[in-house]
Amino acid sequence: MTCIVNVKGLTKSYKNQSVLKGLSWEIEPGDVVGLLGKNGAGKSTLLKSLLNISDIDSGEISIFGEQYNQLSSKNKARIGYVPQENDEISWLSVNDLINFRKQFYSTWSDEKVTELISRWEIDATKKIAELSPGQVQRVLIILALAPMPELLIFDEPAASLDPAGRRDFLKEILTLVSDENITVIFSTHITSDLERIANKVAILDKGKICYFNDLDITKESVVQLTVHCKKEQGITIPYLLRGKLHSQGQYGVVSQLDQAWLAEMKEQAVEVTINPMGLEDIFLELTA
Amino acid sequence: MEQFIISPSSGIPIYKQLYSQIERMVLNGYFSVDQRLPSVRQVASDLDVNPMTVSKAYGLLEERGYLTRLRGKGMVVTARDDEVLQQEKLTMLDEMIKELLAQAKQMGISDDKVVQMINRNVANKQDETVGKE
Repeated sequence: MTCIVNVKGLTKSYKNQSVLKGLSWEIEPGDVVGLLGKNGAGKSTLLKSLLNISDIDSGEISIFGEQYNQLSSKNKARIGYVPQENDEISWLSVNDLINFRKQFYSTWSDEKVTELISRWEIDATKKIAELSPGQVQRVLIILALAPMPELLIFDEPAASLDPAGRRDFLKEILTLVSDENITVIFSTHITSDLERIANKVAILDKGKICYFNDLDITKESVVQLTVHCKKEQGITIPYLLRGKLHSQGQYGVVSQLDQAWLAEMKEQAVEVTINPMGLEDIFLELTA
Repeated sequence: MEQFIISPSSGIPIYKQLYSQIERMVLNGYFSVDQRLPSVRQVASDLDVNPMTVSKAYGLLEERGYLTRLRGKGMVVTARDDEVLQQEKLTMLDEMIKELLAQAKQMGISDDKVVQMINRNVANKQDETVGKE
């Protein structure tokens, strides 16, 4: 399968602080990828690099099979982006901004714009500067969705939305995902949003995508284990991220569940209890 | 039509949560034979989850013989031998008993004690039924 986004050896530093350190990443069509990372991990830098908004030091990036900084205008129009901070002209009214942006796209859907403006109760006659942060974010989302993009990149899209607004935004993304074969990359701190809509989870840590996997597989393999054994048995838990010995046995969190090892434990009559974890805990364990 | 309940932040993947709920609903007769299940789209939109997740659960239920995919109709509950159905129900109960015994063991309660407790509950229930008559 051809990748929609293909990143190889991406590096980027600000002054003398290196942010991305030889990062590689491949995104397949139809994926809905949630990107997690601590504050300052470089999520925004990574997303901006993909879009050629932020310069990179070295590495290769291709989008729709074309080099990222030489995208044809046709391919550029296939990308929708919602930045973390509003960089639109704030003295324009919502209507004017929409009409201005519309000129750049041949695939612009007025229908989508009208529908979302009324559903999200935005007064389009108001200037951007007069809107609340949540309303501005909604306008940015509308601008990104209007050209009916095939690749959507969101940088913390839900950050200034209230719970109802966030849920409605998720609904809109889910409708897009079920209707068309759209690919979505979104960075977030809200793991429960990611758990609802993403099929893959990526973790950016120490300048690299340190973890990238199917969300369901992640929940089935990154688990807490309690091994009911005595110290003398000298049992080592494979893929251990963090472990503790106590009188009742061993406790640990693994990055992967080793089936062969589990079978071996069963043979030795060592009881192993498996406790699944939510994504927030998984994220904390993987970046600890 | 909110028939299913999921908790997205649980460590159990959403498709698995859906799978076990629908499995139980088929076995306890909430969904009857030939009954049509809500479409993938409908469930995904009701629960605000990715449609792929719902498809995955439905696919697994089809694979295990609970559901049949009918052209243009979506998923319906498969008609199956009483014997097979009975076996599925027993398997499910068996899993629950295993879990119960494991929990008891963690609390330091012996298997014998659990059996005793089950017997006592059965006896109490019979007393109640007799009382009512």
